[in-house]
Order: sequence, then C-alpha cells, then structure tokens
Amino acid sequence: MEYILHILVIACIYIILTLSLNLIVGYTGLPALGHAAFSCIGAYTSSLLALNAGLSPWIGLFTGACVAAISGIVIGYPAVRLKGDYLALATFGLGVIVYSIAKNWVSLTRGPMGLPGIPGFSVAGFQLSGIWSYLLLVLVFVAITIFIINRIVNSPFGRILRSIREDEIASESLGKDTTRYKLLVFIIGAFFAGIAGSLYSHYITFIDPSSFTLIESITILLMVIFGGMGRISGSIVGAIILVVFPELLRFLGMPSSIAAPMRQMIYGLLLIFLMIKRPQGIMGVYRFK
Amino acid sequence: MLFIGFGGGKVLLQQLILNGIIAGSIYALIAIGFSVIYRTVKFFNLAHGIVYTAGAYFAYTLTISLHLNIILSFFLSIIFAALLGIAIDRCFYYPLRKKSASNMIFLLASFGVFIFLQNLIQLIYGAQILTIRTGPVKEGHHLCGAVITDIQILILVVSSLLLVILWLFIQKSKLGKAMRAVSDDPIAANVVGINPERIIMTSFVIGSALAGAAGILISYETNIEPTMGFSAILKGIIASIIGGIGSIPGAVLGAFFLGLAENLGIWKISAGWKDCIAFAILIIFLLIRPWGFLGTKTEKEKI
Repeated sequence: MEYILHILVIACIYIILTLSLNLIVGYTGLPALGHAAFSCIGAYTSSLLALNAGLSPWIGLFTGACVAAISGIVIGYPAVRLKGDYLALATFGLGVIVYSIAKNWVSLTRGPMGLPGIPGFSVAGFQLSGIWSYLLLVLVFVAITIFIINRIVNSPFGRILRSIREDEIASESLGKDTTRYKLLVFIIGAFFAGIAGSLYSHYITFIDPSSFTLIESITILLMVIFGGMGRISGSIVGAIILVVFPELLRFLGMPSSIAAPMRQMIYGLLLIFLMIKRPQGIMGVYRFK
Repeated sequence: MLFIGFGGGKVLLQQLILNGIIAGSIYALIAIGFSVIYRTVKFFNLAHGIVYTAGAYFAYTLTISLHLNIILSFFLSIIFAALLGIAIDRCFYYPLRKKSASNMIFLLASFGVFIFLQNLIQLIYGAQILTIRTGPVKEGHHLCGAVITDIQILILVVSSLLLVILWLFIQKSKLGKAMRAVSDDPIAANVVGINPERIIMTSFVIGSALAGAAGILISYETNIEPTMGFSAILKGIIASIIGGIGSIPGAVLGAFFLGLAENLGIWKISAGWKDCIAFAILIIFLLIRPWGFLGTKTEKEKI
C-alpha cells in the first residue's frame, strides 16, 4: 500500500511538471527540451534555504518557484529568439548548464554527493509524516496547477499563445509582441516546474544532480507528447501512465540493473513510435511544425 | 583529481593546447559525419552519437572478446558502424520521410533511437566502464613542453587522413557532386535524375563510418561506457553550428575551435565545467552569429 501511495505522489509531481511543460510545448508550440532545469533550480533553492537558513519549506517552496521563474527569464531570453530545432538545442544546452552547475558548484550544492536530510512540510505546527498526508498535499498542488493552467489557456492570453503556435507571423501582424508572450510562457512554466521540484525534494528528503538530467527533461516531454499536445487532460493521463507503467516491470521480477535500462528502452521506442504514428499524442490537438 | 592533470593551475598551457587539438580532431570527425548527413536530410540527427558509441563497442567486442587483429577489427568496426547508420535510417527515418514529417519530429525520433540503443548497449555490456587498452601504459613523447602518447599521434594522423579522403570524395567524385547537388536543391537534383534516396543512403554510410571511426579511436585512448555518445554528439552539433551548419570546412574549424576553447577554458577551473563552456559558446553564437563562422547569412531566416 505504502508503495502504491509513493507511486501516486511521484505521479502527481510529474503531472505538475507535464502540465507546465505542455503550456510551453503544446499550447505555445515552443519545443523546450530543458524542463528539468527549472525543477532542479526550484528543488535546490528550496532545499538549501531549509538546510542552511532553517527556513520553513513553505517559504522555500515559494522562493524556489520564484527563483525558477527568474531563471525562466534567463533561459527564455535567448531561447525565444530562436526557432524550431535551434530553440530545442538552446534549451537543451541551458539544461546542461544548470545540471553542470548543480554538479560542479560543490561548495554550494555538494555536487554529486547531493543534499541529504531535507526537512518535510509541516502544516499549522504538525509535521507531515505519513505518506497519506503527503499525497493530500501534492493533490492540492495538482488541483491548483490544473485550475490556474486551465484559466490561462482559456483566457485571451491563452488564445494568443495558440495563435503564436499556429501562425506566429499572423499574430505579429495583429500587433502582438510574440517574443514577450513566449517569454511570459517560459516564466509561468518555470514557476510551476519550480514548485514540482521543491515538492519532490521535501518529499524524498534527498536530492542530487542525477535527478535532473536531460533524460529527465525528455521523459517529461514524452509525457506531454504521449498524453496529447495542447490538452490538459492529456498531460494528466500521460504522466500517470508513464509513471505507473514502468513500475510494472518490477513486478515481472526484473532486477533493477535490467529494469532501469529496460524502462529507458521502452521510453525510447515509445518516442519513435509516437513520432512515426501519432506525433500529436493520444488526445492532442497539435503536432510539431 | 588535482594531481593527474585535471585541476586548476597545475596543467601547462602547452598541454591544454595539445589536448584541445586532439579533442578537436575527434570532434571534427563527429561534426563532419553529422554535417554530411545534415546536408542531405536537413535535421539534427542525434542518433549519430549512438553510432559513435557503437563504434567503440564494436571495436571492444572484436578486439577483446573475439581476439581479432587490431587493424582488422578497426576496419570491420567502421563497416559495422556504417551498416548501423543505414539500418537506423531505413527503420526509423524512412517512414518519417514518406510522411514528410517536420524537422522537430525527426529530431525527437532520433533522440528516441539514441535512448533506445544506448540502453540496449547498457543491457548487453553493463553500465560499467570497459577498456580496450592491453599491456602497460607507455610514457608519451615530449613535444614543446607537452606530453603526447602514441595513440594520440595515431588519432591525429588517422583523423586528418580521413578528413582529406572525405574532402577529395566530395569535391572530385561523381557521387560527391551528386551529394552536393541534393544538398543545394533536392528538387532540381531529382529532376536531373539523381535518386535522393540513394544519396541519403550514401550520406548515412559516410557519416556513420566517420562517427564510428571517432568512437573506435577514442576507445584506444580512454575507457568506454554506454553514455559516452551523448556528450560527443552534442559537441559535434555545437561544432557544426558554430562553424556554419552544413559547411564541411566550417565543421572542422568549429570542432578545433570548440576543442581548444573547452580545454583552455578549464585552465583555472575544474574539468567538470567543459560541457558548460561548450554550451555557453553555442548560446553566444546562436544569439550573435547564428550562421556560424563560414555559414551564409541567408541561413539566418531558419534560425
């Protein structure tokens, strides 16, 4: 039971990541491949504030999300000026840079040794210790994320995002400053990814750079594409299926030295299959142009 | 770490320049293979990196497991790498070409191929590092204050030889001319009777053979591991872009520039920052001079 609940918590964190990336990739059509960088920044900010300054994880969560959003400006600034493949490559590169910083700035992040003993959340003076309470906590955050992203995509702002996705020159000709909107989307996406990273770090209580590699970014992107580009329900379904399904490999009795590459192989094949057969995903409305 | 030539301040400048040139020649092989393929298919083929890894593992299997002669296994591994390149193209990219998929879809599919094959290699050989080197490590030769090993000389010689052969092939042979024609204008090339599929296949053979050769050469120099191809292909792509995408002299120039910049960049800091330096250079180029050293400014429209 404990194990199933753990998988659910992880799935919920991935739902937040997938939704926020879907806003960038699926709704605005920007192929960003460095989403794990934002959750990395959120996770490290929040954990370091809790460990070094003794601040409450709640403050850490909010600060982490804000720092991630600011990094969204830094990362988004060069990225949104590029198109297609080059944007993908630039975000890729920025992901590598953030990962390198987490790994090599040893005096701050302890590098590959990671940060152990990150304190958990507490609500009104009570430490959240049971896994049920954590599930409840992340569910609340998932609900908030779905609510806000839903409001964003159905607002006039969301319509501009979709118009950028469909025809950027046409939306420019209507007087929309598309660069500004694309940058805003990066900031919003980064904010939510920062929240997800912070939730993850306080739940697992240990982080190291290996949790935020490029493969991680691609996994999140695969969830977006698999569920459906430009659809909120798609992201939820995609995240849940791709978190739960590889866990079944464990029940087949595979040792983890086989299960880990096996899981990646399935992800790789699924990505190829989707690109050939259904690049918009199960219930998506957009495919990469 | 500090005492074996990685740490800050302890390494001689000459050694770093030499290391940069050797890294540059490996990057050049990868970048040129990447560019040859890019010129005909016009997408970022990330699976190129796994051909590099596979080249190293073919060499390992043939030399260590099957005890073949090292020269024979070198050529056999190159052939296998070329075949792997064709197989990837026929199995995965051909169906996408039939559907005239967008560049981004090709890029993600090639990433899928990369992840799949990398983990397949890991499943077969395990995640640990392997080494081809047999016998004791010989001391290198001294050259202007730097140390160069026999294998490093071999890398420099073989890679420059391959570059010259490729350059002659593309400039002088009929097939090379056809490749340039397809790269400049695929439709017009088709009109004059050049079969584009045949040219794409040729470019995958040449490109993959070069990537395989780079992988084999590096396997003589250092340890190999399943994840080695990732950083390599990224460096290859960065070198191609800063040299001017699709330009073969540009790819060589970009590769040596990148190799030197990376190695000189870690003069005072730890070697772990190399990837960071490489991508910082890429992003600066994309913002300031996206068409690279030798690219034409018209390419900017696509960026």
